[in-house]
Amino acid sequence: MRPDVPAHPHAMQPSKPGSTRTAPPMRPAKFPAGGNYLRYMLFDATGIVYMLAGLVALGIVWQLGNGEAAWAAQMQRLSNPIYVLFHLVCLASVIFVGVRFFSLFPKAQPPRIGPAKPPPAVVFFVGLYGAWIGITALLVAVLAGGIF
Amino acid sequence: MKGLLLRLEPLIWLIFGGGIMVGTMLLTGWVAVVGIGVPLGIFPADALAYDRASMLGSHLIGRVVLALLIILPLWKGAHHTRHLSIDFAGGERDVLVAPLLYGIASLGSVLAIVAVLRL
Repeated sequence: MRPDVPAHPHAMQPSKPGSTRTAPPMRPAKFPAGGNYLRYMLFDATGIVYMLAGLVALGIVWQLGNGEAAWAAQMQRLSNPIYVLFHLVCLASVIFVGVRFFSLFPKAQPPRIGPAKPPPAVVFFVGLYGAWIGITALLVAVLAGGIF
Repeated sequence: MKGLLLRLEPLIWLIFGGGIMVGTMLLTGWVAVVGIGVPLGIFPADALAYDRASMLGSHLIGRVVLALLIILPLWKGAHHTRHLSIDFAGGERDVLVAPLLYGIASLGSVLAIVAVLRL
């Protein structure tokens, strides 16, 4: 991938030509795996994992609705190393997304929210991580048979 | 199609944001137990025996949680995968890629609602 070659010159084309002449868009030199681009692209790529995770979860819930035999077969399929490996990748992805997004959240606040200033970053940090840890702990306890 | 996608952008962003925040919070525990813990024997298989799983899933809160943990990650996934495609392949194909990905997410969302109503 050569940084001196214009990449998809119409990708950011306005609907109407502007009065100011602009240079064709260039693919940045470090794209896609250099500098900050690596984390940015990995964050985007978790989309594929999330989509697959949603579809797998849909299949699991669907089989639960199909009765006891279908559920037992589904549980058996989940023991397949490919499913386990996928879910390990999925767990790594959700942790990566959570840490990145929750770190970004305080930085993305506007200077003012109506008449008030946004709360300090520590409030977001405690709130978001507290909710994440709390919901995860509750879900693990319920699904693993600790409560109910 | 480009105009429609632009008009739908605020709605898509809303569900996408929900997918990142709520989807991440729900998927962590789900994946840890259903995808890893029970299959590897870290948690007892009885925890997800049919009767118990059915009882949890058919409760109103269970149905809502299951629907959200399917629907929100699908939309987060569709939107980020769309942008991955734009980053690598440019905007020209977006008129095909975006409807395909959002179509999968829409169909998956409808099926998720049907799936939880069947429990």
